[in-house]
Amino acid sequence: MKKKMLGMLLIVGLLCVAGCGSDAKGSDAVNVQGSSVVADQNDTQKEAQADGYVFVYKKTTITVNGDMAPVAEALGEPTSYFEAASCAFDGLDKIYTYGPIVVETYPEGNKDLVSAIIVKDDSVTTPEKVTIGSSKQEMLDAYGKDYTEEAGMFVYKKGSMKLQFIVKDDVVTSIQYSSTAVFE
Amino acid sequence: MKKKRWLTIVLTAILILGSLFLLQKLLMPKYVADVVEGAFIAEYYQEEKNHDVVFIGDCEVYENFSPITLWQEYGINSYIRGSAQQLIWQSYYLLEDTLRYETPQVVVFNVLSMKYNEPQKEAYNRMSIEGMKWSMSKVKSIQASMTSRENFLDYVFPILRYHSRWSQLTEDDLKYMFQTKQVSHNGYYMRVDVKAAGEIPEGKPLADYQFGENAYTYLDKMTALCKEKGIQLILIKAPSLYPYWYDEWEAQIEQYAEDNDLLYINYLELVDEVGIDFTQDTYDAGLHMNLSGAEKLSHSFGQILSEEVQVPNRSGEAHLQEIWKEKIAAYEAEKQEQFTKYSK
Repeated sequence: MKKKMLGMLLIVGLLCVAGCGSDAKGSDAVNVQGSSVVADQNDTQKEAQADGYVFVYKKTTITVNGDMAPVAEALGEPTSYFEAASCAFDGLDKIYTYGPIVVETYPEGNKDLVSAIIVKDDSVTTPEKVTIGSSKQEMLDAYGKDYTEEAGMFVYKKGSMKLQFIVKDDVVTSIQYSSTAVFE
Repeated sequence: MKKKRWLTIVLTAILILGSLFLLQKLLMPKYVADVVEGAFIAEYYQEEKNHDVVFIGDCEVYENFSPITLWQEYGINSYIRGSAQQLIWQSYYLLEDTLRYETPQVVVFNVLSMKYNEPQKEAYNRMSIEGMKWSMSKVKSIQASMTSRENFLDYVFPILRYHSRWSQLTEDDLKYMFQTKQVSHNGYYMRVDVKAAGEIPEGKPLADYQFGENAYTYLDKMTALCKEKGIQLILIKAPSLYPYWYDEWEAQIEQYAEDNDLLYINYLELVDEVGIDFTQDTYDAGLHMNLSGAEKLSHSFGQILSEEVQVPNRSGEAHLQEIWKEKIAAYEAEKQEQFTKYSK
Protein backbone atom coordinates (compact mmCIF):
# COMPACT_ATOMS: atom_id res chain seq x y z
CA MET A 1 0.00 0.00 0.00
CA LYS A 2 2.80 2.35 0.93
CA LYS A 3 4.44 1.69 -2.43
CA LYS A 4 1.23 2.58 -4.28
CA MET A 5 0.80 5.82 -2.35
CA LEU A 6 4.41 6.73 -2.89
CA GLY A 7 3.93 6.03 -6.58
CA MET A 8 0.93 8.33 -6.81
CA LEU A 9 2.80 11.12 -5.01
CA LEU A 10 5.69 10.66 -7.42
CA ILE A 11 3.30 11.01 -10.35
CA VAL A 12 1.91 14.28 -8.90
CA GLY A 13 5.44 15.58 -8.39
CA LEU A 14 6.48 14.61 -11.91
CA LEU A 15 3.41 16.30 -13.37
CA CYS A 16 4.36 19.52 -11.60
CA VAL A 17 7.98 19.30 -12.68
CA ALA A 18 6.95 18.51 -16.26
CA GLY A 19 4.66 21.52 -16.27
CA CYS A 20 7.40 23.75 -14.94
CA GLY A 21 9.71 22.43 -17.60
CA SER A 22 7.36 23.35 -20.41
CA ASP A 23 6.97 26.86 -19.05
CA ALA A 24 10.65 27.47 -19.12
CA LYS A 25 10.41 27.53 -22.92
CA GLY A 26 8.27 30.62 -22.60
CA SER A 27 5.74 29.60 -25.22
CA ASP A 28 2.65 30.87 -23.48
CA ALA A 29 3.77 31.10 -19.91
CA VAL A 30 2.48 33.47 -17.30
CA ASN A 31 5.45 34.82 -15.42
CA VAL A 32 4.99 36.24 -12.01
CA GLN A 33 7.15 39.14 -10.99
CA GLY A 34 6.75 39.81 -7.30
CA SER A 35 3.04 39.28 -7.05
CA SER A 36 2.10 40.42 -10.53
CA VAL A 37 1.31 38.34 -13.54
CA VAL A 38 2.81 39.23 -16.87
CA ALA A 39 2.36 37.46 -20.17
CA ASP A 40 5.61 36.25 -21.63
CA GLN A 41 6.48 37.81 -24.97
CA ASN A 42 10.14 36.95 -25.40
CA ASP A 43 9.58 34.92 -28.54
CA THR A 44 7.42 37.62 -30.08
CA GLN A 45 10.25 40.15 -30.04
CA LYS A 46 12.59 37.94 -32.05
CA GLU A 47 9.80 37.00 -34.43
CA ALA A 48 8.79 40.62 -35.07
CA GLN A 49 12.30 41.83 -35.58
CA ALA A 50 12.81 39.15 -38.16
CA ASP A 51 9.93 39.87 -40.48
CA GLY A 52 7.94 43.01 -39.67
CA TYR A 53 7.76 46.25 -41.66
CA VAL A 54 10.23 48.80 -40.33
CA PHE A 55 10.28 52.60 -40.42
CA VAL A 56 13.39 54.66 -41.07
CA TYR A 57 13.75 58.19 -39.70
CA LYS A 58 16.97 60.19 -40.04
CA LYS A 59 18.79 57.04 -41.14
CA THR A 60 17.70 55.25 -37.96
CA THR A 61 15.71 52.06 -38.40
CA ILE A 62 12.84 51.69 -35.97
CA THR A 63 11.41 48.19 -35.55
CA VAL A 64 8.11 47.40 -33.88
CA ASN A 65 8.82 45.20 -30.84
CA GLY A 66 12.49 46.15 -31.18
CA ASP A 67 14.63 47.75 -28.47
CA MET A 68 14.05 51.52 -28.10
CA ALA A 69 17.43 52.24 -26.47
CA PRO A 70 19.52 52.43 -29.68
CA VAL A 71 16.76 54.43 -31.39
CA ALA A 72 16.62 56.98 -28.57
CA GLU A 73 20.39 57.24 -28.59
CA ALA A 74 20.56 57.78 -32.34
CA LEU A 75 17.72 60.30 -32.54
CA GLY A 76 18.78 62.33 -29.52
CA GLU A 77 16.51 64.65 -27.55
CA PRO A 78 12.85 64.15 -28.52
CA THR A 79 10.59 67.09 -29.32
CA SER A 80 8.39 65.94 -26.46
CA TYR A 81 8.30 63.00 -24.10
CA PHE A 82 5.51 61.49 -22.01
CA GLU A 83 5.46 58.47 -19.77
CA ALA A 84 2.49 56.59 -18.42
CA ALA A 85 2.62 54.01 -15.69
CA SER A 86 0.95 50.76 -16.71
CA CYS A 87 -2.08 50.14 -14.50
CA ALA A 88 -0.96 47.86 -11.69
CA PHE A 89 2.26 46.66 -13.29
CA ASP A 90 5.76 47.95 -12.87
CA GLY A 91 7.27 49.79 -15.78
CA LEU A 92 6.22 52.69 -17.94
CA ASP A 93 4.67 53.04 -21.36
CA LYS A 94 6.69 55.85 -22.98
CA ILE A 95 5.78 58.18 -25.81
CA TYR A 96 8.58 59.95 -27.72
CA THR A 97 7.77 62.59 -30.32
CA TYR A 98 10.51 63.27 -32.88
CA GLY A 99 9.18 66.00 -35.16
CA PRO A 100 6.82 64.25 -37.59
CA ILE A 101 6.79 60.85 -35.89
CA VAL A 102 5.66 59.49 -32.53
CA VAL A 103 7.26 56.34 -31.10
CA GLU A 104 5.52 54.51 -28.26
CA THR A 105 7.13 51.84 -26.13
CA TYR A 106 6.14 49.20 -23.62
CA PRO A 107 8.26 47.67 -20.86
CA GLU A 108 9.60 44.15 -21.30
CA GLY A 109 12.00 42.96 -18.62
CA ASN A 110 14.57 45.72 -18.27
CA LYS A 111 14.06 46.99 -21.82
CA ASP A 112 11.59 49.31 -23.51
CA LEU A 113 10.32 47.83 -26.75
CA VAL A 114 8.60 49.78 -29.50
CA SER A 115 4.84 49.27 -29.43
CA ALA A 116 3.88 51.79 -32.11
CA ILE A 117 5.20 54.28 -34.63
CA ILE A 118 2.80 56.97 -35.79
CA VAL A 119 3.48 59.17 -38.79
CA LYS A 120 2.05 62.64 -38.21
CA ASP A 121 2.56 64.47 -41.49
CA ASP A 122 3.80 64.27 -45.06
CA SER A 123 7.37 65.35 -44.35
CA VAL A 124 8.39 61.71 -43.96
CA THR A 125 7.63 58.62 -46.02
CA THR A 126 7.70 54.94 -45.29
CA PRO A 127 10.63 52.98 -46.79
CA GLU A 128 8.10 51.85 -49.41
CA LYS A 129 7.52 55.53 -50.36
CA VAL A 130 4.03 56.06 -48.97
CA THR A 131 3.19 59.15 -46.92
CA ILE A 132 0.23 61.05 -45.53
CA GLY A 133 -1.53 62.36 -48.63
CA SER A 134 -0.52 59.43 -50.87
CA SER A 135 -3.33 57.97 -52.89
CA LYS A 136 -4.92 54.63 -52.09
CA GLN A 137 -3.51 53.33 -55.38
CA GLU A 138 0.02 54.33 -54.35
CA MET A 139 -0.48 52.44 -51.10
CA LEU A 140 -1.70 49.36 -52.98
CA ASP A 141 1.20 49.58 -55.44
CA ALA A 142 3.66 49.72 -52.55
CA TYR A 143 2.16 47.13 -50.22
CA GLY A 144 -0.02 44.95 -52.42
CA LYS A 145 -3.46 43.56 -51.82
CA ASP A 146 -2.75 41.23 -48.92
CA TYR A 147 -4.57 43.43 -46.41
CA THR A 148 -7.67 43.35 -44.27
CA GLU A 149 -9.98 46.32 -44.33
CA GLU A 150 -12.12 47.58 -41.52
CA ALA A 151 -13.98 50.89 -41.52
CA GLY A 152 -11.58 52.55 -43.91
CA MET A 153 -8.47 51.15 -42.24
CA PHE A 154 -6.20 48.95 -44.34
CA VAL A 155 -4.17 46.58 -42.22
CA TYR A 156 -1.08 44.71 -43.41
CA LYS A 157 -0.05 42.11 -40.83
CA LYS A 158 3.47 40.74 -40.69
CA GLY A 159 4.79 38.63 -37.82
CA SER A 160 3.77 40.24 -34.56
CA MET A 161 3.24 43.71 -36.00
CA LYS A 162 0.77 45.40 -38.27
CA LEU A 163 0.99 48.40 -40.54
CA GLN A 164 -2.24 50.37 -40.67
CA PHE A 165 -3.37 53.01 -43.15
CA ILE A 166 -6.48 55.08 -42.67
CA VAL A 167 -7.81 56.02 -46.09
CA LYS A 168 -10.46 58.68 -46.58
CA ASP A 169 -11.72 59.67 -50.01
CA ASP A 170 -8.95 57.55 -51.56
CA VAL A 171 -6.24 59.48 -49.71
CA VAL A 172 -4.02 58.10 -46.93
CA THR A 173 -4.72 60.20 -43.82
CA SER A 174 -2.91 58.18 -41.16
CA ILE A 175 -0.02 55.70 -41.01
CA GLN A 176 0.61 53.63 -37.88
CA TYR A 177 2.91 50.71 -37.18
CA SER A 178 1.71 48.70 -34.17
CA SER A 179 2.73 45.69 -32.17
CA THR A 180 0.27 42.87 -31.89
CA ALA A 181 2.27 41.52 -28.95
CA VAL A 182 1.29 44.25 -26.50
CA PHE A 183 -2.10 42.73 -25.92
CA GLU A 184 -2.72 39.13 -24.77
CA MET B 1 -9.77 -7.02 2.15
CA LYS B 2 -12.03 -5.17 -0.29
CA LYS B 3 -12.80 -2.57 2.38
CA LYS B 4 -9.08 -2.03 2.97
CA ARG B 5 -8.52 -1.52 -0.75
CA TRP B 6 -11.23 1.14 -0.93
CA LEU B 7 -9.80 2.85 2.11
CA THR B 8 -6.41 2.96 0.40
CA ILE B 9 -7.91 4.49 -2.74
CA VAL B 10 -9.82 7.12 -0.77
CA LEU B 11 -6.83 8.02 1.39
CA THR B 12 -4.58 8.26 -1.68
CA ALA B 13 -7.10 10.49 -3.45
CA ILE B 14 -7.38 12.74 -0.39
CA LEU B 15 -3.62 12.95 -0.12
CA ILE B 16 -3.18 13.86 -3.80
CA LEU B 17 -6.01 16.39 -3.88
CA GLY B 18 -4.85 17.88 -0.59
CA SER B 19 -1.32 18.24 -1.90
CA LEU B 20 -2.51 19.90 -5.08
CA PHE B 21 -4.78 22.24 -3.10
CA LEU B 22 -1.92 23.29 -0.84
CA LEU B 23 0.41 23.72 -3.81
CA GLN B 24 -2.16 25.88 -5.57
CA LYS B 25 -2.62 28.01 -2.46
CA LEU B 26 1.12 28.44 -2.19
CA LEU B 27 1.75 29.24 -5.84
CA MET B 28 -1.07 31.70 -6.53
CA PRO B 29 -0.01 35.38 -6.42
CA LYS B 30 -0.93 37.04 -3.11
CA TYR B 31 -0.98 40.67 -4.29
CA VAL B 32 0.14 42.05 -0.93
CA ALA B 33 3.45 43.70 -1.84
CA ASP B 34 4.22 45.91 -4.85
CA VAL B 35 1.25 45.10 -7.04
CA VAL B 36 -1.77 45.04 -4.78
CA GLU B 37 -4.46 45.68 -7.38
CA GLY B 38 -5.04 41.97 -7.93
CA ALA B 39 -6.41 41.67 -4.39
CA PHE B 40 -9.21 44.24 -4.69
CA ILE B 41 -11.95 42.07 -6.15
CA ALA B 42 -11.70 39.41 -3.43
CA GLU B 43 -11.63 41.93 -0.57
CA TYR B 44 -15.26 42.83 -1.16
CA TYR B 45 -16.46 39.48 0.19
CA GLN B 46 -15.10 40.30 3.66
CA GLU B 47 -17.34 43.36 3.88
CA GLU B 48 -20.72 43.81 5.49
CA LYS B 49 -22.84 44.29 2.40
CA ASN B 50 -25.37 47.03 2.77
CA HIS B 51 -23.79 49.75 0.67
CA ASP B 52 -25.86 52.53 -0.83
CA VAL B 53 -23.40 53.26 -3.62
CA VAL B 54 -21.22 50.74 -5.50
CA PHE B 55 -18.64 51.84 -8.06
CA ILE B 56 -17.58 49.48 -10.83
CA GLY B 57 -14.86 49.99 -13.40
CA ASP B 58 -11.17 50.29 -14.04
CA CYS B 59 -8.37 52.25 -12.36
CA GLU B 60 -10.30 55.45 -13.03
CA VAL B 61 -12.63 54.49 -10.19
CA TYR B 62 -10.36 52.79 -7.68
CA GLU B 63 -7.67 55.47 -7.84
CA ASN B 64 -9.89 58.53 -8.16
CA PHE B 65 -12.67 58.19 -5.59
CA SER B 66 -12.35 57.76 -1.85
CA PRO B 67 -15.26 56.04 -0.04
CA ILE B 68 -13.72 57.29 3.20
CA THR B 69 -14.30 60.91 2.14
CA LEU B 70 -17.83 60.06 1.03
CA TRP B 71 -18.52 58.67 4.49
CA GLN B 72 -16.77 61.40 6.44
CA GLU B 73 -18.37 64.27 4.56
CA TYR B 74 -21.77 62.89 3.56
CA GLY B 75 -22.35 59.73 5.58
CA ILE B 76 -22.49 57.76 2.31
CA ASN B 77 -21.82 54.05 2.70
CA SER B 78 -20.03 53.06 -0.50
CA TYR B 79 -17.68 50.49 -1.99
CA ILE B 80 -15.53 50.35 -5.13
CA ARG B 81 -15.44 47.08 -7.06
CA GLY B 82 -12.63 48.19 -9.32
CA SER B 83 -9.70 46.41 -10.92
CA ALA B 84 -6.92 47.24 -13.36
CA GLN B 85 -8.12 47.49 -16.96
CA GLN B 86 -11.52 46.15 -15.97
CA LEU B 87 -13.32 45.53 -19.25
CA ILE B 88 -17.01 46.37 -19.54
CA TRP B 89 -18.17 42.75 -19.60
CA GLN B 90 -16.14 42.17 -16.43
CA SER B 91 -17.84 45.20 -14.87
CA TYR B 92 -21.22 43.80 -15.87
CA TYR B 93 -20.54 40.39 -14.36
CA LEU B 94 -19.11 42.00 -11.23
CA LEU B 95 -22.35 43.94 -10.97
CA GLU B 96 -24.32 40.69 -11.29
CA ASP B 97 -22.06 39.17 -8.64
CA THR B 98 -22.54 42.16 -6.32
CA LEU B 99 -26.31 41.90 -6.66
CA ARG B 100 -26.15 38.38 -5.26
CA TYR B 101 -25.26 39.99 -1.93
CA GLU B 102 -26.86 43.44 -1.91
CA THR B 103 -28.90 45.92 -3.92
CA PRO B 104 -27.42 49.40 -3.65
CA GLN B 105 -29.40 52.52 -4.43
CA VAL B 106 -26.78 53.70 -6.92
CA VAL B 107 -24.25 52.01 -9.21
CA VAL B 108 -21.52 54.21 -10.67
CA PHE B 109 -19.77 53.05 -13.85
CA ASN B 110 -16.71 54.72 -15.39
CA VAL B 111 -17.07 54.74 -19.17
CA LEU B 112 -13.42 54.59 -20.32
CA SER B 113 -13.65 50.83 -20.85
CA MET B 114 -16.17 51.38 -23.65
CA LYS B 115 -13.10 51.79 -25.85
CA TYR B 116 -12.41 48.06 -25.65
CA ASN B 117 -14.60 45.76 -27.68
CA GLU B 118 -12.68 42.53 -27.27
CA PRO B 119 -10.49 40.70 -24.75
CA GLN B 120 -7.14 42.38 -24.19
CA LYS B 121 -4.60 40.84 -21.86
CA GLU B 122 -4.56 37.75 -19.69
CA ALA B 123 -2.65 39.35 -16.84
CA TYR B 124 -5.39 41.95 -16.37
CA ASN B 125 -8.13 39.37 -16.83
CA ARG B 126 -6.68 37.39 -13.96
CA MET B 127 -6.65 40.40 -11.65
CA SER B 128 -10.29 41.18 -12.44
CA ILE B 129 -11.67 37.66 -12.38
CA GLU B 130 -9.67 35.38 -10.11
CA GLY B 131 -10.78 37.14 -6.95
CA MET B 132 -14.47 36.56 -7.71
CA LYS B 133 -16.26 33.83 -5.82
CA TRP B 134 -17.46 31.03 -8.05
CA SER B 135 -20.87 31.64 -9.58
CA MET B 136 -22.36 31.70 -13.08
CA SER B 137 -21.32 35.37 -13.22
CA LYS B 138 -17.69 34.36 -12.81
CA VAL B 139 -18.02 31.61 -15.40
CA LYS B 140 -19.55 34.04 -17.90
CA SER B 141 -16.94 36.67 -17.11
CA ILE B 142 -14.17 34.17 -17.87
CA GLN B 143 -15.84 33.12 -21.10
CA ALA B 144 -16.28 36.73 -22.21
CA SER B 145 -12.75 37.75 -21.25
CA MET B 146 -10.46 34.96 -22.44
CA THR B 147 -7.92 35.84 -25.10
CA SER B 148 -7.21 33.28 -27.82
CA ARG B 149 -4.30 31.87 -25.82
CA GLU B 150 -6.23 31.26 -22.61
CA ASN B 151 -8.06 28.17 -21.39
CA PHE B 152 -11.09 28.02 -19.14
CA LEU B 153 -9.57 25.18 -17.13
CA ASP B 154 -6.64 27.41 -16.15
CA TYR B 155 -9.12 29.57 -14.24
CA VAL B 156 -10.73 26.56 -12.58
CA PHE B 157 -7.34 25.14 -11.61
CA PRO B 158 -5.02 28.16 -11.38
CA ILE B 159 -2.12 25.84 -10.50
CA LEU B 160 -1.99 24.99 -14.20
CA ARG B 161 -1.06 28.61 -14.88
CA TYR B 162 1.01 29.43 -11.83
CA HIS B 163 3.13 26.30 -11.41
CA SER B 164 6.18 28.13 -12.75
CA ARG B 165 6.06 30.51 -9.77
CA TRP B 166 7.84 27.98 -7.59
CA SER B 167 11.18 29.65 -8.27
CA GLN B 168 9.84 33.12 -7.36
CA LEU B 169 8.15 32.32 -4.06
CA THR B 170 8.76 34.71 -1.19
CA GLU B 171 7.99 34.70 2.51
CA ASP B 172 4.70 36.44 1.72
CA ASP B 173 3.54 33.41 -0.25
CA LEU B 174 3.71 31.32 2.91
CA LYS B 175 2.51 34.03 5.24
CA TYR B 176 -0.60 34.84 3.20
CA MET B 177 -1.34 31.35 1.95
CA PHE B 178 -4.71 31.16 3.68
CA GLN B 179 -5.48 34.64 4.87
CA THR B 180 -4.49 37.78 3.06
CA LYS B 181 -4.14 41.32 4.40
CA GLN B 182 -6.35 44.29 3.57
CA VAL B 183 -4.75 46.38 0.84
CA SER B 184 -7.51 48.78 -0.17
CA HIS B 185 -9.86 51.16 1.62
CA ASN B 186 -13.29 49.91 0.49
CA GLY B 187 -11.73 49.32 -2.91
CA TYR B 188 -9.81 52.63 -3.00
CA TYR B 189 -6.10 52.46 -3.81
CA MET B 190 -4.25 55.21 -1.97
CA ARG B 191 -1.24 57.13 -3.26
CA VAL B 192 -0.09 60.34 -1.61
CA ASP B 193 2.95 61.18 -3.75
CA VAL B 194 2.93 63.90 -6.38
CA LYS B 195 4.08 63.90 -9.99
CA ALA B 196 2.72 66.89 -11.86
CA ALA B 197 1.10 66.48 -15.25
CA GLY B 198 3.10 67.84 -18.16
CA GLU B 199 2.39 67.80 -21.85
CA ILE B 200 -0.24 65.18 -22.65
CA PRO B 201 0.03 63.51 -26.06
CA GLU B 202 -2.89 63.95 -28.40
CA GLY B 203 -4.90 60.89 -29.36
CA LYS B 204 -3.88 58.72 -32.29
CA PRO B 205 -6.12 59.04 -35.33
CA LEU B 206 -8.64 56.18 -35.35
CA ALA B 207 -10.34 54.71 -38.39
CA ASP B 208 -13.61 54.41 -36.53
CA TYR B 209 -14.56 56.32 -33.42
CA GLN B 210 -17.73 54.33 -32.89
CA PHE B 211 -17.69 52.22 -29.72
CA GLY B 212 -17.91 48.52 -30.54
CA GLU B 213 -21.09 46.49 -30.64
CA ASN B 214 -19.92 44.17 -27.89
CA ALA B 215 -19.17 47.10 -25.58
CA TYR B 216 -22.61 48.55 -26.22
CA THR B 217 -24.24 45.17 -25.60
CA TYR B 218 -22.79 45.06 -22.09
CA LEU B 219 -23.64 48.70 -21.40
CA ASP B 220 -27.21 47.88 -22.42
CA LYS B 221 -27.20 44.84 -20.15
CA MET B 222 -25.89 46.94 -17.27
CA THR B 223 -28.57 49.57 -17.85
CA ALA B 224 -31.30 46.94 -18.08
CA LEU B 225 -30.15 45.09 -14.96
CA CYS B 226 -30.06 48.30 -12.94
CA LYS B 227 -33.53 49.27 -14.15
CA GLU B 228 -34.87 45.81 -13.31
CA LYS B 229 -33.48 46.03 -9.78
CA GLY B 230 -34.56 49.65 -9.22
CA ILE B 231 -30.95 50.87 -9.07
CA GLN B 232 -29.95 54.29 -10.39
CA LEU B 233 -27.04 53.86 -12.81
CA ILE B 234 -24.71 56.85 -13.04
CA LEU B 235 -22.11 57.07 -15.79
CA ILE B 236 -18.94 58.97 -15.12
CA LYS B 237 -15.72 59.83 -16.91
CA ALA B 238 -13.02 60.42 -14.33
CA PRO B 239 -10.76 63.45 -14.86
CA SER B 240 -7.78 61.34 -15.97
CA LEU B 241 -5.91 63.14 -18.75
CA TYR B 242 -4.59 59.98 -20.36
CA PRO B 243 -5.58 57.66 -22.07
CA TYR B 244 -7.04 60.23 -24.45
CA TRP B 245 -10.81 60.67 -24.35
CA TYR B 246 -11.98 61.60 -27.86
CA ASP B 247 -14.77 64.11 -28.51
CA GLU B 248 -16.47 61.47 -30.66
CA TRP B 249 -16.55 59.11 -27.67
CA GLU B 250 -17.92 61.84 -25.46
CA ALA B 251 -20.74 62.51 -27.93
CA GLN B 252 -21.72 58.83 -27.94
CA ILE B 253 -21.87 58.59 -24.16
CA GLU B 254 -23.85 61.81 -23.87
CA GLN B 255 -26.32 60.45 -26.43
CA TYR B 256 -26.55 57.10 -24.66
CA ALA B 257 -27.19 58.77 -21.31
CA GLU B 258 -29.88 60.93 -22.85
CA ASP B 259 -31.55 58.02 -24.64
CA ASN B 260 -31.59 55.94 -21.46
CA ASP B 261 -32.37 58.73 -19.03
CA LEU B 262 -29.11 58.28 -17.13
CA LEU B 263 -27.07 60.84 -15.23
CA TYR B 264 -23.67 61.24 -16.93
CA ILE B 265 -20.87 63.34 -15.46
CA ASN B 266 -17.68 63.99 -17.39
CA TYR B 267 -15.21 65.23 -14.80
CA LEU B 268 -12.72 66.18 -17.51
CA GLU B 269 -15.04 69.11 -18.15
CA LEU B 270 -15.30 69.96 -14.44
CA VAL B 271 -11.63 70.04 -13.45
CA ASP B 272 -11.72 73.72 -12.45
CA GLU B 273 -15.07 73.44 -10.72
CA VAL B 274 -13.85 70.50 -8.63
CA GLY B 275 -10.61 72.35 -7.91
CA ILE B 276 -8.23 69.77 -9.29
CA ASP B 277 -4.73 71.10 -9.71
CA PHE B 278 -2.74 68.81 -11.98
CA THR B 279 0.52 70.07 -10.55
CA GLN B 280 -0.49 68.76 -7.11
CA ASP B 281 -3.36 66.29 -7.33
CA THR B 282 -1.89 63.47 -9.39
CA TYR B 283 0.89 60.99 -8.64
CA ASP B 284 1.56 59.89 -12.20
CA ALA B 285 1.41 62.96 -14.40
CA GLY B 286 -2.34 63.10 -14.87
CA LEU B 287 -3.35 59.48 -15.30
CA HIS B 288 -4.70 59.05 -11.80
CA MET B 289 -5.44 61.24 -8.81
CA ASN B 290 -3.35 61.05 -5.68
CA LEU B 291 -5.04 61.22 -2.28
CA SER B 292 -5.49 64.98 -2.48
CA GLY B 293 -7.13 64.72 -5.92
CA ALA B 294 -9.29 61.73 -4.97
CA GLU B 295 -10.58 63.55 -1.88
CA LYS B 296 -11.43 66.66 -3.92
CA LEU B 297 -13.24 64.55 -6.49
CA SER B 298 -15.10 62.61 -3.81
CA HIS B 299 -16.10 65.85 -2.13
CA SER B 300 -17.63 67.04 -5.40
CA PHE B 301 -19.26 63.74 -6.35
CA GLY B 302 -20.55 63.22 -2.81
CA GLN B 303 -22.40 66.51 -3.05
CA ILE B 304 -24.18 65.29 -6.20
CA LEU B 305 -24.95 61.91 -4.65
CA SER B 306 -26.23 63.53 -1.52
CA GLU B 307 -28.21 66.46 -2.94
CA GLU B 308 -29.29 65.43 -6.43
CA VAL B 309 -29.52 61.67 -6.09
CA GLN B 310 -30.70 61.74 -2.47
CA VAL B 311 -28.35 59.06 -1.20
CA PRO B 312 -29.03 58.93 2.54
CA ASN B 313 -26.66 60.20 5.19
CA ARG B 314 -26.16 57.20 7.47
CA SER B 315 -23.57 58.73 9.74
CA GLY B 316 -26.02 58.48 12.64
CA GLU B 317 -26.19 54.68 12.52
CA ALA B 318 -24.17 53.36 15.46
CA HIS B 319 -23.33 50.07 13.78
CA LEU B 320 -21.92 51.81 10.70
CA GLN B 321 -20.10 54.33 12.89
CA GLU B 322 -18.20 51.44 14.45
CA ILE B 323 -17.31 49.91 11.11
CA TRP B 324 -16.16 53.20 9.59
CA LYS B 325 -14.21 54.20 12.69
CA GLU B 326 -11.95 51.23 12.07
CA LYS B 327 -11.71 51.97 8.36
CA ILE B 328 -10.82 55.62 8.96
CA ALA B 329 -8.10 54.58 11.39
CA ALA B 330 -6.57 52.28 8.77
CA TYR B 331 -6.86 55.04 6.16
CA GLU B 332 -5.14 57.60 8.38
CA ALA B 333 -2.43 55.13 9.32
CA GLU B 334 -1.63 54.38 5.69
CA LYS B 335 -1.75 58.08 4.85
CA GLN B 336 0.89 58.79 7.50
CA GLU B 337 2.96 55.80 6.45
CA GLN B 338 2.96 56.95 2.82
CA PHE B 339 3.71 60.58 3.69
CA THR B 340 6.71 59.36 5.65
CA LYS B 341 7.80 57.06 2.82
CA TYR B 342 7.49 59.66 0.05
CA SER B 343 8.96 62.55 2.01
CA LYS B 344 12.28 60.71 2.34
